Amino acid sequence: MRKFLAVIKREYSQRVRTKMFIAATVLGPLVISLFGVVPALIFSIKAGGPVRIAVVDQTGRMYSRVQKAIMDEGEPVEDQSKAPTAKALNANSSERIERAGALQEESFALEEIPLAGRPIDQVKVELGERVRKQEIDGYLILPANLLQNGKAEFFGRNAGDVFTKGRLEDGVSEAVREERLAGANIDATTVRKLSRPVKLQSFKIGERGEERDTGEEFILVFAAGFVIYLTILMYGQVILGAVIEEKETRIAEILFSSVKPFPLMMGKLIGVSLVALTQLSIWGLAFAAFAIYGVGVLSAQGLPVNLPNIAPIVFLYFTLFFLLGYFVYATIYALVGSMVTTTQEGGQLAMPIILLLVVAFYLAFPVIRSPDSTFAFWVSMFPFFSPITMLVRIVTQTPPFWQIALSLVIGFATVVLLTWVAGRIYRTGMLMYGKRATIPEVWRWVREA
Amino acid sequence: MSISTPTVSVDSVTKRFGDFTAVSNLSLSARAGRVYGLLGPNGAGKTTTIRMIVNITAPDSGRVELFGRPITGELQDRVGYLPEERGLYKKMKIGDQLKFFAELKNVSGKEVDKRIDGWLARLRLTEWKNKKAAELSKGMQQKAQFVTAILHNPDLLILDEPFSGLDPVNVELIKEIVLELKLAGKTIIFSTHQMEVAEKICDDICLINRSQKVLEGPLREVKQSFGRNAVALRVEGGDGILSDPSLVSKLERHSDEVEVLLAPGTNAQDLLQQLVAAKAIVSKFEMIEPSLKDIFIQHVSEVE
Repeated sequence: MRKFLAVIKREYSQRVRTKMFIAATVLGPLVISLFGVVPALIFSIKAGGPVRIAVVDQTGRMYSRVQKAIMDEGEPVEDQSKAPTAKALNANSSERIERAGALQEESFALEEIPLAGRPIDQVKVELGERVRKQEIDGYLILPANLLQNGKAEFFGRNAGDVFTKGRLEDGVSEAVREERLAGANIDATTVRKLSRPVKLQSFKIGERGEERDTGEEFILVFAAGFVIYLTILMYGQVILGAVIEEKETRIAEILFSSVKPFPLMMGKLIGVSLVALTQLSIWGLAFAAFAIYGVGVLSAQGLPVNLPNIAPIVFLYFTLFFLLGYFVYATIYALVGSMVTTTQEGGQLAMPIILLLVVAFYLAFPVIRSPDSTFAFWVSMFPFFSPITMLVRIVTQTPPFWQIALSLVIGFATVVLLTWVAGRIYRTGMLMYGKRATIPEVWRWVREA
Repeated sequence: MSISTPTVSVDSVTKRFGDFTAVSNLSLSARAGRVYGLLGPNGAGKTTTIRMIVNITAPDSGRVELFGRPITGELQDRVGYLPEERGLYKKMKIGDQLKFFAELKNVSGKEVDKRIDGWLARLRLTEWKNKKAAELSKGMQQKAQFVTAILHNPDLLILDEPFSGLDPVNVELIKEIVLELKLAGKTIIFSTHQMEVAEKICDDICLINRSQKVLEGPLREVKQSFGRNAVALRVEGGDGILSDPSLVSKLERHSDEVEVLLAPGTNAQDLLQQLVAAKAIVSKFEMIEPSLKDIFIQHVSEVE
């Protein structure tokens, strides 16, 4: 026990004291927030002046509506302004890019080109010439049958500019819709008001009959899974390095003349994991402090803030399954580390196994649909999936306690077993430096050692 | 544990790695207060034997006992081991490493700090205590590692090639400490292929070649059993006689004298008479014991 603690202490104190660790702990959140801020900053860069577009209106009456619609497009429309933040939260990345484009409030300079009896082809040639001379950036043709066909054409120097295309498309669409509505004697504002969508709010009926919104918990399940994934990406290599360290420095022989392989391997795993957990706790506390401060400021301004409402037992499950998920995958790195001689080799070997975690993410969807099925039961018992699938079951339709307990027991037993195997392989493999073990060899070592 | 119980007792031990037999039916026993030399060429099975004694690997057959009992984790704490493959944690300070290795032997607290300072001073490493291992020269790292082997005051000390890579001053320093420990009643197993060193330090020897024991016993008896068939000479002329294989089986030239091993059936008188008859001027003619190196080479080459 004393030796086991000595191993943990060494792994922990050697790593926490490094400048790397301190730098990563301080800079980590900064880098992450930069990822959030930098794209927005880039999008807000306004390169060049307004986009100059010539409009050829063959219908003879659409230009003023189109002009109004395109110029207004950058400003929020009444009914959208009600829930802009909710929309921003749910947006997928492509939506977000488009919105960022809109936020840019790209300015347009429109110019109507009267046909004046000339054939359209001649006008196109003239406008094409102006585009080449860089007098305008493009031209838009509204055909005479625009209201019936719903098709317009845009010719531009930069036809791939999705923002410009989107603005023009939206503007022309709106103009056409309003023109059509006006043709049918319907007021556009009334239509917008009447076609506002319905929001479905969901409540969960739990064992004890309490009701609560489950949306936040889903986000938390995926957040937990994501944090497991990130932590493994960051610390898997560290564990690999810790296991290989004594092989590379040839210290293993002294170690094994003093300590058994299992406490050594377990000590390393726990020592490095404590480093990871220290870092996560610091980040977590910083985030919590920031969030509490933020909530305080918002409340002081009289804005209502909904704090996620999670039962303490669910919070405990989250913690336990997070630890399980982390340790199951961390042990894989320890196991791989016991077989290979360099960290590069180990990283390549461990990667395919870590992809199981991605599979677990996908498995969450069938489990959400039927959390009570036999399928859901088995995938929530399998230790490589349970950290995510069991959490999904807990927040959807909480399974009986024995299932949760069994899943945890299977998971942590797997961790202990894999660590024991890793220790065996490590000790035997150490006797043959410089050679990677083959699978049959490894199997023999596990049985013999 | 009675006086007569050997500290280490290896009994008919065999260890194979696949088709390769590393140690074959080997028995040996080392006693307290003596230095036991485990000798043999590279690849003879010395390191594998040691690994079985320190409980890193288990023998396929046979028994290994320490202090009269089968090995346990607790007994491991009474053993100090300096492996041939040496290494320290590169980025860890020397003082911290020594403490860590002591903790692995179940020794900790203030007592360890005192011992660390004492040994570092003795090995002239005090100023390196707070330096990382990577900053030390190879010889200094080796001395630091020697400290890890003796820091917990082990009853059994196993040294695998402890002098390789050390300068003569440091060799003397380590040798001095080893002899002190011997006088303090510790058991020392000393593995090497450098016979000159073994000859000066060992009380008992065991010669291993190709996984098998060739020879075992107190160094004195081993040497005597080989008889006095070596002669040290200082001579001018007579080269033809010294290179006659019917008289001399081996000839070794030093700076101003030669050492010869007499061919079987020849005695020293015959050689001297022949030299005198050949009008060689003999200024030194001395019967000497065969060196351990000669015994070693003779045995090893016999097998080949």
